[in-house]
Amino acid sequence: MNETRRTSLERSAKNIAAAVTIGLAIIPLALLLMWSFARHWYWPALLPREYSVRAWEYIASPPAGVITALTMSIFVALCVTALALAVALPAARALALHQFRGKRALLFMLLLPVLAPSLASAMGVHALFLRYGLTDSVLGVVLVHLIPTVPYSTLMLTGSFANFDPDWEAQARTLGASPVKVWRHVTLPAIAPGLAVAAAFAFLISWSQYLTTLFIGGGRIITLPLTLVAFQRSGDEAITAALSLVFLAPTLLVFVIVARFLRNVE
Amino acid sequence: MNQLRSILILSLLLASLAVSCAGPEIDARLVFTPAQFAGARWEETLERARGTTVNYGMWAGDEARNRYFQTGVAETLKRKYDITLHITPLGDVVEIVNKLLNEKGAGKSTNGSVDMIWINGENFRTAKQAGVLWGPFADHLPNIRHFDEAARARDFGTPIENYEAPWQRAQFVLAYDTARVAEPPRSVEALRAFVKAHPGRFTYPAPPDFTGSVFIRHILFHFGGARAFQEGFDEELYRKASAASIEFLNDLEPFLWRQGETYPATLTELDRLFANGEVDFAMSYGPSFASERIARGEFPATTRTFVFDEGTIGNYSFLAVPFNASNVAGALVVINHLMSPEHALDQSRTLGGVFPLAPDHLTAEERRAAEALPRGPATLPADELAAHLLSEADARYLERLEKDWLEKILRR
Repeated sequence: MNETRRTSLERSAKNIAAAVTIGLAIIPLALLLMWSFARHWYWPALLPREYSVRAWEYIASPPAGVITALTMSIFVALCVTALALAVALPAARALALHQFRGKRALLFMLLLPVLAPSLASAMGVHALFLRYGLTDSVLGVVLVHLIPTVPYSTLMLTGSFANFDPDWEAQARTLGASPVKVWRHVTLPAIAPGLAVAAAFAFLISWSQYLTTLFIGGGRIITLPLTLVAFQRSGDEAITAALSLVFLAPTLLVFVIVARFLRNVE
Repeated sequence: MNQLRSILILSLLLASLAVSCAGPEIDARLVFTPAQFAGARWEETLERARGTTVNYGMWAGDEARNRYFQTGVAETLKRKYDITLHITPLGDVVEIVNKLLNEKGAGKSTNGSVDMIWINGENFRTAKQAGVLWGPFADHLPNIRHFDEAARARDFGTPIENYEAPWQRAQFVLAYDTARVAEPPRSVEALRAFVKAHPGRFTYPAPPDFTGSVFIRHILFHFGGARAFQEGFDEELYRKASAASIEFLNDLEPFLWRQGETYPATLTELDRLFANGEVDFAMSYGPSFASERIARGEFPATTRTFVFDEGTIGNYSFLAVPFNASNVAGALVVINHLMSPEHALDQSRTLGGVFPLAPDHLTAEERRAAEALPRGPATLPADELAAHLLSEADARYLERLEKDWLEKILRR
């Protein structure tokens, strides 16, 4: 009797928590959606007085440049994700599985780019990239996005490798598996959840870069945040809201994909 | 198998990335010194610019303006000069100025990514002092003849010396609703009387908002005399006039909207308060702003604008060429076009605003066209605005006053 009551209490508490979480996530999105269609929406009106598709029409029109910026953002973020993982995987493995002198100092240095204010580091990196002719190009933008993404990806994967026993690989090898097979059937499944989260983080960090893209891309490489910030500063709420939704959509998609992937792994 | 496929796709992406990053090369036809430009015929510059692309760093926070430049202006440039206009959308031109300073420091004096920028005031002062602008050039553009001396002498007190070319004009106006306010206060003292008689019905955007900043400069001009602020920085003058201004603003504060405990952060917020009937005055650097908002149904149709009897501050905004522009020829042709009567008329028809060219520097036909420009119901006639125009103060007064406002009014 007591037992069932407790579980049903637990269940309703869980449901309430879930509802609150979903509400917290959905209310801002719903507000953005309403703003993007609002024509006149002044305090204290609870709902907009008039609606219009002006903002969406503008965003879809070629002069707005949103579609090209979106394509560029996706391209850059995918490249950054791939490169960040390529760097982070071996680094995280070494950090997690090997003891060596200066490991703590190395971890600290790894975090430095995240600790420095982004304006300061953007200016510094810009000066450096100028010397190597990396400015005003997609390659430069991808490289500069790697600076904040690699630390996060590495730390996240270090966590995955911490619970990984390299003896499993050795066992598979003894049983005659090729290195590729070992990677696919032993290593990858063990670190897959961490890998998915690290990839999502790398994608999202690149996705939200503004100053670094502007400095290194020199205004030639135009990503979504560049178009968004101009409107956000001018106070055109409808277009800012519509652009914010376009900006948010892929990030939500990434979250859904990663969440589903993690559930499948479980 | 899936993993292999994704690795394959990613490596393809990386390969295409490597291909796409081949850097641009310097084109000697498009890059030359100001002295070479001064010595060349204009037709030669036109010829060099043909078939090129110009990167224009433009504040891009206005939908109508973006649309107009990306379509109307871009098509005209293509048709008339065979130039492709590429707009770099900016939230604030200061970002490009910082980038140029960095490039100057690193010695990147060619192959810059931006060919022309829309600039004025403090940013021009910084850029000119740091030597990150290409020039002098403005006096050698054919269309400079349409601007009078006031547009060519100083920009917020900084001598222009042909390092930027004028193209747009702005002047501060206040808006009120004739249905609510019978007679607007046409002087700083009348404003004080009005605000005290109607508590909670007035406020201004918090500086460093552009418009809030120019509003408090009117107070400074009132106490120090408008003419005194235009040439150089005088510490003694500033100290006296700013003390009186701060006292004035503090005296007003308890009678402002929300007792002055908070100020609207942006001009949009003030617009909204006015549209909503919460305050009695709106303000803007754009003399036609009230007419545009009436047309959009945001302001009541009975809204009108006014200026102070002792005048309101106006300025020009300018176009400049970065020192490392890769297409100087193209930038000069585009700048010259944006200074033409043809463009000024077209832009005034499309976007509103003040017609920037001096009437006595136009042909009779152009003058007639300018006079026939539609003027919104709330916009003051051009001659009334011109008769009340005050030049901007030296940029250093602006910086000091904004700082003092933050310390002595907001954080008091």
